Amino acid sequence: MADHSSHDPLAGLRFDRVPPSGTYGADGEPGVTVTIPETPFIALVVARNGFAESVTGRLGRAFGLEVADRTGAAIGAAATVVGTGPGRFLVLSKTEPDLAGTLRALLGSEAAVSEQDDAYVTFDLAGEKTPDLLAKGALIDIDPRVFLPGDAATTVIAHIGVTLWRVDEATWRLLVARSLEASFTRFLIASGAAFGLRLENGTAGRG
Amino acid sequence: MRIPCPYCGERDAHEFSYLGDATLTRPDPAAADAEQAFHDYVYLRDNPAGAHEEWWYHANGCRQWLRVTRDTRTHAISGAAPARKSGEPA
Repeated sequence: MADHSSHDPLAGLRFDRVPPSGTYGADGEPGVTVTIPETPFIALVVARNGFAESVTGRLGRAFGLEVADRTGAAIGAAATVVGTGPGRFLVLSKTEPDLAGTLRALLGSEAAVSEQDDAYVTFDLAGEKTPDLLAKGALIDIDPRVFLPGDAATTVIAHIGVTLWRVDEATWRLLVARSLEASFTRFLIASGAAFGLRLENGTAGRG
Repeated sequence: MRIPCPYCGERDAHEFSYLGDATLTRPDPAAADAEQAFHDYVYLRDNPAGAHEEWWYHANGCRQWLRVTRDTRTHAISGAAPARKSGEPA
């Protein structure tokens, strides 16, 4: 049997440590680029019983977005609102340090708001091979002709719970529970090596 | 097997967990025959060949309970509705 160890993109990497920045797998222009952007501020909004419609409207007006109570990502300059369940939204913002407080003031007793700043790691995937990479772990159809910019899903990729949405033609954003960052990064490397994968996760978190 | 979640759309059954018969109604614990009624409610199940109503929980999606209609002979799923009606008390 041939020895494939020299071709294993994960060779020598500890399973419980986040792999370092670098280029993995096939030579040449990488088919997928993975970046860990500076963590946005994140809050979860859960409308109280009977207030889903009101909360949906208030979120839309406050951030100037077309928010609907369904799966989907409403993306704007001030914030992104992602539907993850009936009457339930993840709100992400880079400009609102006290996002949960702002949302509590906005929604009052109509919704339960909880801060999620440190709950998730954000992965930005770009490159034409991104759907091919995700398809290796996904149970849903993420063909770019079906899963369009603004579409979102809360699902499982490589047995890991993920909320993902397509930001624009070429960019996909994924939220993964922070404690699974190492495992999920290994999945990305193992599955993206065939296309060549560039990983840029050098930025330190907010601590 | 794919389940048409009313919120998420059609999803693989691996995202769900199964509870069981959705046609049962919890008996009145104050009734005179409560003990027998609860025995039947907890333990006795029909095993229908054909259409069946059952609870499924979309754990790896919208985290909602669904009432799914499944044919036990073919696994064909003819519908799924949210267990909780919007606006009703939780």
